[in-house]
Amino acid sequence: MLDIRLISTSRLRQKKKNLILFLILLLLVFVRISKGSIYKDFYYFISKPFWPGQFQKEVILKSKDQESLIKLNLLEQDNTRLRKILNIQESSNIDNISAAVISRKTGSWWRQIIINKGSKDGVEIGSTIIGPGGLLGRVKNTSLFTSSVTLLTSPESKLGVWVDRVKISGLLVGLGDDYPSLILYSKDADIKVGDFVSSSPASTLLPPNIPIGIVQSVAEPFKTKKIAKISLFAKPHVIDWVQILKVKINE
Amino acid sequence: MNKFFTKKLSIIFFIFVPIIFLWHPNWLGFLGAQPYWPLFWLLPWSMINGSINGLIFGLFLGIILDSLTLDGNFTQIPGLVICGFCFGRIKFNSDFLVGHFRYGLICSFGSFICGALIFLQILIKDFSDSTFLIFMPSFNNILAEVFLTGFFAPLICTQFLRILRISSRKAQ
Repeated sequence: MLDIRLISTSRLRQKKKNLILFLILLLLVFVRISKGSIYKDFYYFISKPFWPGQFQKEVILKSKDQESLIKLNLLEQDNTRLRKILNIQESSNIDNISAAVISRKTGSWWRQIIINKGSKDGVEIGSTIIGPGGLLGRVKNTSLFTSSVTLLTSPESKLGVWVDRVKISGLLVGLGDDYPSLILYSKDADIKVGDFVSSSPASTLLPPNIPIGIVQSVAEPFKTKKIAKISLFAKPHVIDWVQILKVKINE
Repeated sequence: MNKFFTKKLSIIFFIFVPIIFLWHPNWLGFLGAQPYWPLFWLLPWSMINGSINGLIFGLFLGIILDSLTLDGNFTQIPGLVICGFCFGRIKFNSDFLVGHFRYGLICSFGSFICGALIFLQILIKDFSDSTFLIFMPSFNNILAEVFLTGFFAPLICTQFLRILRISSRKAQ
């Protein structure tokens, strides 16, 4: 009786073993067919805490910034050297002043902003104001603590600008809306939508090569002029902080 | 102190007109334009104090606002002087609804006069081949300003008128 019981228990164990082996085999087949995806996904979850963290990302970004800064400095030095050789005006960004916009009139007839730095901080009439994106305007008036800036969109604003692709100068005129007009005094000027407009290297009012905007539309030539609408990079109605460039312009 | 402020409320509001003009809240704007704020004060003031006072304070407002804005191409004085003078000749209307709509209409008309005068000044002073470029933005500015001024005037002017009347009664 005891022998029979022992034999049946060992058979049951054997069956269990076989079943486990079969299941393992099935799992291996699945792993083989799925090309180890289950392993990879499992590894994905367990290795997550050890991934390169924010710190490492910051280190890489910082070194990239440093690399860009060094390149920028080298290019600036190169640019200054070439400008000296060509005897054209130079600008320096050593004495830039940061200022907050405390009042803005960016619609209707008046297109001006008031910033919280004035003559006390060394702001001078005619200083160039730039914001994130590019040129905003020029200081028209200073008080002890504030400065008023005429925006490029103001009907009073008229500045010499440079269209980089076709290497031609033009006049940027504010019209009292958000898109100043670029007037080129040549009806054959090959200006196209998307052309980049910057401050003119020949301008006596602004430092050279400050980004201004891009050509949004070009009108049909009128008399001897070609007129284009410019979409500005720096949007005065949203900018809260600006930079005042204290530039030395060799007139 | 309280009595002093109540009596001089009109002058206190007068001082605040340029501040609101400078504040230029964008969320109140329409097509980039703002209501023409000085008219909201000038209308009740002129209606209470008459044409000559309206003319004088229109001139004062114009001088202050011109000094706040940079544009040397135009001045706001002619528009505000004309509005101040004309507003002083307007009689009060006892009907609640008619009164409200009248303020809206009068301020819209005043804003149109001021806008048109500014536009004419720019045209005359800056006349060149490319003057036609400013036509469309200028029409847009005038119309948006007229609409907004007329829209807010019934609300703001009635309140101002009520406060200034109480203030002038207490001053007497």
